[in-house]
Amino acid sequence: MEVVNPRAALLSNYEVLSLLRDLESDHLARTKTAIRIKKEEEASGLNSNFPAGGGKDPTVVEVSENLRTVSFEAIKYLSAEYQPTASQTPEAITQLIKSLEPYDLTKAEKLQIVNLAPQQHIELYVIVEELEDRLAERMEDVMSHVQESLVFDPAVISAPLGQGLAVPKKKENRNNGGDWEVDEEYAGDEYDDKGEGAGVDGDLDMADD
Amino acid sequence: MFNLAILKDKVAVHPSDFGGPPEQAIIAELNKKYANRILHDVGLCICVFDITEAGEGKVRYGDGFLWYKVVFRMVIFRPFQSEVLLAKVMSSDHNGIRLSLGFFDDIYVPVPYLPLPNAFDPNERAHFWLPNSELKQNELLDSPTVERMWIDKGEVVRVRVEADEFYDDEPGPVKMADGVQVVREVQSRAPFTITASMAEQGLGPTSWWSAAQIAEDGAEDDAAMDEG
Repeated sequence: MEVVNPRAALLSNYEVLSLLRDLESDHLARTKTAIRIKKEEEASGLNSNFPAGGGKDPTVVEVSENLRTVSFEAIKYLSAEYQPTASQTPEAITQLIKSLEPYDLTKAEKLQIVNLAPQQHIELYVIVEELEDRLAERMEDVMSHVQESLVFDPAVISAPLGQGLAVPKKKENRNNGGDWEVDEEYAGDEYDDKGEGAGVDGDLDMADD
Repeated sequence: MFNLAILKDKVAVHPSDFGGPPEQAIIAELNKKYANRILHDVGLCICVFDITEAGEGKVRYGDGFLWYKVVFRMVIFRPFQSEVLLAKVMSSDHNGIRLSLGFFDDIYVPVPYLPLPNAFDPNERAHFWLPNSELKQNELLDSPTVERMWIDKGEVVRVRVEADEFYDDEPGPVKMADGVQVVREVQSRAPFTITASMAEQGLGPTSWWSAAQIAEDGAEDDAAMDEG
């Protein structure tokens, strides 16, 4: 083993998350086809324990335990409700980076703005060094660019302002937090489900108040 | 948080994998070898990103494996210095707080990196912060519990990476003393630890800061109401 370059490029959280999800769904698809093949073979009376060609048992799609653990845990962390990843899209992130161009931010600062999607001054303050001197009034612009890059669930936006906007990240992710399979598409059948969920959340908040 | 590292290695592919596409078999082997492991001075390996270069598979004398020379890119977890992370509090003790990201939990916030003035309450097993307090360090535990800003277990905190450290756990050569093998005490130190800080405005439990924001908004709302 030889390390050619320990840090060739930086990756955003969103990139890592989508890579891991692809990996997982790919694995799932392979397992499914393998099971289907096995069933077909069984139906046609072949002995599936000894597949033709002397290869491995096709139902066993090997993924090492280590990889499974780390990808499961990383997906859980990256799609947790306190992360902005659920409301991000690749196009929006590219757009955000472009719109941050004129502010003279360093690469690391831009990466963290993408990763953490700061929505409050204090959040931006910890990311950007000497924020007041460097950005001053333009702080609001940066924050509005961030805001634009996040796709919020319509159910949350239509919710009463007081509750909906105070903790927008939490609410809309709660429903699809661990559900990576359907998560990639925001529109479609999932919408109803989210709407209901958001409603329930709202009710709970009222009770808390 | 994450970055790509370019690595070079030789990979053996078992004959039972010859049926499938070789790149799949190579990636599977690489993942088996590297995923969830720490590379010294590189970081925690997550998974293979892609293969940049792979030679022709060669059969060596002695086994039936196909050996490939591969250059590949690996997704590595290694936050850079001064990066801001979100993590969960895993446990607290007198020395500080231990944080977890789920897939990595050797992040420590030592007491000097906690916001001042702070103290550890052994009854609650948690650290707390007393903003704007006039108490002296040794009086902090006498403060009323309601005024304390707790850093509880399981809470989501924002921290800044101050330093990271790699520890090579490789056992050295066997030591002999008077012809008897000396059994070295087993040190179970984590191979990769990150030291993080909460001692700054905006760092610490996220609820502290979002609560402040909401309170502000609330005050504004009230003001608006009064005007109206």
